[in-house]
Amino acid sequence: MTNDRRTLDALTNKRGMNNQRRLADGIKDFITYLSTSLSVLVLGAVFVFVLTRGWQTLSWDMITGDFWGGNFKVNFTETLPGTFTAPGSLPQDAYFSEKYGFAVRDDKNHEKKDIMVLLYLDPESPLKTSVGATAGPTLDQPLSAGIGAEIRKITYVNDDGAKKSAGLLGKQNAEQMVFTLDTQSVSVDSMDFQSSGGGIRGSLAATLMLIGITLVIALPIGVFAAIYLHEIAGKGKITKMIRAAIEMLNGVPSIIFGLMGMTVFFPLTRLFGATTPNILLGGITMTVVLLPVIIRQTEEALITVPDKLRMGSLSLGATKTQTIFKVVLPNALPGILSAGLLSISRIIGESAALIYTMGTFVVDRPQLNGRATTLAVQIWSVMSGEQPNFELASAISILILLMVLVLNVSVKMITASLNKKWKE
Amino acid sequence: MSNVRDRIKPGAIKRRQVVDSIFKALFTAAGVLSALMIIIIFVFVGWKGVAPFLPVYGGEQQSIWSFISGMTWRPDQNPALYGVLFIVINTLISAFLAALVSFPVSVLTALFIVKIAPRPLRAFFTTVVEMLAAVPSVVYGVFASGQITKIVDTVAGWFGKTTFGGNSLLTVSILLAIMIFPTITVMSITSISAVDRNLELGSLALGASRTQTNFKVVLSAAKSGIFAGLVLGLGRAFGEATAVSMVAGNAMTGPTWNLFDITRTLTSTMLSGLKETTGLDYDIRFSVGIILMIIVLLTNLAIQYIKRKIGGVTND
Repeated sequence: MTNDRRTLDALTNKRGMNNQRRLADGIKDFITYLSTSLSVLVLGAVFVFVLTRGWQTLSWDMITGDFWGGNFKVNFTETLPGTFTAPGSLPQDAYFSEKYGFAVRDDKNHEKKDIMVLLYLDPESPLKTSVGATAGPTLDQPLSAGIGAEIRKITYVNDDGAKKSAGLLGKQNAEQMVFTLDTQSVSVDSMDFQSSGGGIRGSLAATLMLIGITLVIALPIGVFAAIYLHEIAGKGKITKMIRAAIEMLNGVPSIIFGLMGMTVFFPLTRLFGATTPNILLGGITMTVVLLPVIIRQTEEALITVPDKLRMGSLSLGATKTQTIFKVVLPNALPGILSAGLLSISRIIGESAALIYTMGTFVVDRPQLNGRATTLAVQIWSVMSGEQPNFELASAISILILLMVLVLNVSVKMITASLNKKWKE
Repeated sequence: MSNVRDRIKPGAIKRRQVVDSIFKALFTAAGVLSALMIIIIFVFVGWKGVAPFLPVYGGEQQSIWSFISGMTWRPDQNPALYGVLFIVINTLISAFLAALVSFPVSVLTALFIVKIAPRPLRAFFTTVVEMLAAVPSVVYGVFASGQITKIVDTVAGWFGKTTFGGNSLLTVSILLAIMIFPTITVMSITSISAVDRNLELGSLALGASRTQTNFKVVLSAAKSGIFAGLVLGLGRAFGEATAVSMVAGNAMTGPTWNLFDITRTLTSTMLSGLKETTGLDYDIRFSVGIILMIIVLLTNLAIQYIKRKIGGVTND
């Protein structure tokens, strides 16, 4: 191939061309350079956009935090003070409580109101042991204030056994509150705080659940169908029709799969107690979306397994089933693996089908038979409100892009090594 | 002792044969099930989409003629008006505009990658195209409503026009052009790579330059695959939903001819204001879905037709 190319270059050196021809060719070649650089430009623009808009928002707290913020009142199961030392990394304007092991700082929120932000919480701090104090599903459930939460009030017990309030609601700033707690309190009683929300933990969990369900259903069906097409079916008309039908599935827009999920499979998920669109329904629908992908990837892997292996196995007396499971499939395993990875990447990126089958309401604690959003649908959800939240959308986009690109690169590497394996 | 068959337990062969046929049935069932899915989609979505036009639907029964020929989509009115014709026209316009931009760029990029680029660059640009294909549509949507809208708004200013925050037909078309670019490019790359080498050598031997050969011989030999890629790209443009609905603006009437005016596509209609999962406003989305499926089906048939008719010379 390289030799061939070199010969061509030698054949077509520009010696014989006149200037006009040379100019015309140069312009045409230049246009192709231009077109190609356009694609690099677009890819770069997309990356730069999501990185600049989302980088600030992307943090560990965002990944592990709830989406819905709110006001919380909590009690403590551990109320007595201890002795804590401040970590070295605190900023200048932070105030650290040596008795209770937390640090706060004065700040202003976007409405220019005074707030007090929790900057640090020692793992041993009594404030870590908070449980919900208001009636409802969170009562007596662990409900911890995360870093970045706005502390409004901490109620403490003083020497006389009386309950007093410290914090913004007691007209104290961060310095005064920490000083009061460290000098006058015997124990802490309760705390009011506001958490900012904007996290993606719920969507992340829902995405993982969806991936799990989909693969459990789709991989066996897809792999079996590929085995049927490549190992069992003949070359007749019926096989051709089945192939064409599966191929057609590939061209169906994903939003149509959403519609189908709601009409065909929703009654099925009702048996599992679902009354709304739900994760299970999303998983079954994604199965149909992914079948052509899995079948094609698996079949390509089956094709690379040489026939001499099958014949060897059959001639030793193994049945067809034994040959498939003990000889063919183990050798096609990398292909099935890449089918799985490709499926995961498609699930992470899918949105239209899931908007119909899982809903667009972001849920912090997703359940199999209830509404939830995947990361991609959460992007759609925060973008389609009255005030699009570009920062959060871009931050999630960074995560999605990272996952999808890593998965695609792995698939490429696996496929390359698979093709090399049987080449003598 | 002498015959190996005596060592095999009686019944073992029988059992194996049973297991064998059970698995054979399972494999076949999986294959048939996968093939049935497309039929299930057509039957169920079709039935639910047709229902609003049938007497069984009761009081809210819609007239099929006013649905198909209507130029207004007002679900907020009482009684609601559902006319889909202008939406179909809008969908076609935005997709064809996108193809108009994307097609030449894609073909030239493919030509560059396969025939002109030096070897190390070839791998790099192929990866770029593959990465563009892998970016999820919702990410393109965020990019479009954050960046492309701004550019379109500025451009509109040059012409003395205003836009609704950049949401416009032009924005949708640019977004779709970006999204179908990898589809057309990958198909073109495959098709250009498959062009018979002897054709090129023949052209060169006749005295044509490398560039002349690339543009006149290679491209025309690969044209069937290239045009199939174009139609595949169009199909993707028709069906693209989430990203488009972020920047379409959902016009109530149409069709939209002004580049800087808001538009409404079939998919954005299906996604906009989705709240309840019952009622006419929900069921009519299935009717829109049927129209979308018909358009995509026609596109697929067009690919088959192109592959047969246009021909071209490839060595596959």
